[in-house]
Amino acid sequence: MLELRNLRRSFGDVVALDGLSFEVAPGELCGFLGPNGAGKTTAMRCAVGVTAADAGEVRWRGQPIDLAVRRRTGYMPEERGLYPRMRVHEQLVYVARLRDVDAEVAARNADRWIDRLGIGERRDDPVEQLSLGNQQRVQLAAALVHDPELLILDEPFSGLDPLATDVMSEVLREQADAGVAVVFSSHQLDLVEDLCRTVAVVARGRLVLDGEVAALKAAGGRRLRVATDGDDDWTARLPAGAAVVSRRDATVTVALPPTLDPGAVLDVARRSGRLVDVHLDQPRLSELFRTAVADRPDLAAELTEVDR
Amino acid sequence: MSAWQTVRLIAGREVRQRLRSRMFVGTTLALSALLVLGALGPALLGAFERTPDDEPVAADPVRVAVVGSLAPAETAALEATLGPLTTVPAANEAAVVSALEEETADLGIIVGDRVLTPPATGMFAVGTGRAFQAAETLALTEVLDAVGASGSAAAVLGVEPLPVEVIGEDDQALQAARLIAANLAVVFIFAMLMFYASMIVNGIIEEKGSRVVELLVEAVPIRQLLAGKVVGLGTIALGQMFVLFVPATTVLVLANRDLIPPGIGGMLAIIGLWFALGYALYTLISAGLGALVSRPEEAQAVLTPASLLALVGYVVGFAAIQAPDASFAVVAGWVPFSAPFVLPVRQLVGEPTSLEVAGALVLVLLAIAVVALLAARIYEGGILRVGARVGIRDAWRGSSR
Ligand SMILES: Nc1ncnc2c1ncn2[C@@H]1O[C@H](COP(=O)(O)OP(=O)(O)O)[C@@H](O)[C@H]1O
Ligand SMILES: [Mg+2]
Repeated sequence: MLELRNLRRSFGDVVALDGLSFEVAPGELCGFLGPNGAGKTTAMRCAVGVTAADAGEVRWRGQPIDLAVRRRTGYMPEERGLYPRMRVHEQLVYVARLRDVDAEVAARNADRWIDRLGIGERRDDPVEQLSLGNQQRVQLAAALVHDPELLILDEPFSGLDPLATDVMSEVLREQADAGVAVVFSSHQLDLVEDLCRTVAVVARGRLVLDGEVAALKAAGGRRLRVATDGDDDWTARLPAGAAVVSRRDATVTVALPPTLDPGAVLDVARRSGRLVDVHLDQPRLSELFRTAVADRPDLAAELTEVDR
Repeated sequence: MSAWQTVRLIAGREVRQRLRSRMFVGTTLALSALLVLGALGPALLGAFERTPDDEPVAADPVRVAVVGSLAPAETAALEATLGPLTTVPAANEAAVVSALEEETADLGIIVGDRVLTPPATGMFAVGTGRAFQAAETLALTEVLDAVGASGSAAAVLGVEPLPVEVIGEDDQALQAARLIAANLAVVFIFAMLMFYASMIVNGIIEEKGSRVVELLVEAVPIRQLLAGKVVGLGTIALGQMFVLFVPATTVLVLANRDLIPPGIGGMLAIIGLWFALGYALYTLISAGLGALVSRPEEAQAVLTPASLLALVGYVVGFAAIQAPDASFAVVAGWVPFSAPFVLPVRQLVGEPTSLEVAGALVLVLLAIAVVALLAARIYEGGILRVGARVGIRDAWRGSSR
């Protein structure tokens, strides 16, 4: 289990982490979400020891993360970085060797990832001669080449074309299925919704939402769209907790609290006429995200400021 | 994985990267070739200057124009000292002179009177030397003749002389060699220190600029990263010294044994030692400073304090060649930053006391230890702050994590 506990970190007056806590289990693929400046990068850097937390701690399998754990961690920094003039294979071997993988295994793993990520032809080219997309692949390979048990990736999908996005998704999925704890930050909420079993949403350095995507969606309140052939004055008699979100012609969309049975609303509607259209929707992750982030007006001003 | 293994891995990468640079390898090989040519120089010049006059070959008999007649004992004695002779009878002194002038004779003898010789030529003044030998031989034969042992003159003169051993050092040659070595030492140490200072700074800037440093720092303690770079470049410097000096020295030894400066091994050892110490001192300072910047354009500026220190050392070292034991040189020897320039000079051309040498060594080693601690802290404070130049106080105050 990767545990971030009560992390705090300020840069001068800017509070980047304000008591952030969340957990990622082995085999879990966790999307780490938050607006720009929310503290995602800072949190991940704390986890891999590149940034020191002012307070709080990061544990892996119950132990504070030390050098030995960091060497079994795969890390993709937000600012990508490789030696520009080093060759792809040589570079991957070097990265693995620094993480205490012996030379033979390192060479074999490097070749395996080079093949898997489709950069076989560039194996012995200096990294600076590769296209940006291929450099990204090498960067991913550098995070994986030592067979890590923990993967921490800062916006691994940014700048990828759709094909590369598919490869990246597949690889992350595979790693999680193989028992690796995977956490990655992203702004691509739809992708995260499809890919991840769990998410953690951070805003202003604090956790504002986390859990299994399915459960969050189920608990996030559904929307019921109802159309009858009668008039729509039935909405005046809605059960407690339900609220009208929009009306168009005879179609009314009602937000339901998680505990409310949609049948109770239908019962009320049916009294004014025959049901013409009924549609029960779970919220999209993006909606949950917006609500979680914006539901806290105290954050709104600061967030826009940070977004600048 | 032990710290040393990590350091070795990092150092290994540094070495491989330099060896792959055509510029670096090419320049080093070209310089080495130049030095070899320089070492061959005296031998080549010697080959051009060599004339039969300078070094009579065994097969060439010495041609002697003789007025009067030499006794057989005299001829035998002369052959014992000068080697094979051909005698050419001459009518009178004038005939001898013209034979010498026309170079049909190498030596003239007016029996019982004088020996005539052309003026000295060549470095070794062979012609006149031969005339004195001939004159002495004839005189000796005369003395032996007087005591009734004229027949033994040749035997006496042909005797193999006892070996001669020169005690002490040939002062002039040694002084000259030491002077050359001292000049070379100061220039070489300064040039190499500046070169490696900018090498390490550029390496650090590459890591910061390319952001690869974040990936490294995740897996490697920052101090080991620094140590690896210093050790790696040091290995390269050592290799470069070998490539620069070993072929040239070997050629010098093989090609002209006579011209090897005496004690060349000791001199090279002195230069090597002080270079190594200077390298550690200045490379560590440079690494600390280098961690403050992220762009190649800033390298020279950030290195200015180190360059100035080295420049002062260089100037003082140069001045010390003229006055190696003057008080300014003695004082500069006690200052760790100038010691690597001044001490080799003093050891080569001056007479430092062993206290001064040992003291300088201890102080420089201490300075290296202190500088290593300071540089490591500043390096730690600066290495992760990519972007604008980091103030040295900022870097000192906080590790950049
Ligand atoms: N090295 C730093 N120096 C100063 N401020 C920083 C530094 N790193 C992050 N911050 C600030 O901390 C806040 C969180 O940043 P970050 O962790 O990068 O957010 P995110 O990755 O979620 O966009 C931002 O306000 C950012 O400006
Ligand atoms: Mg970020």
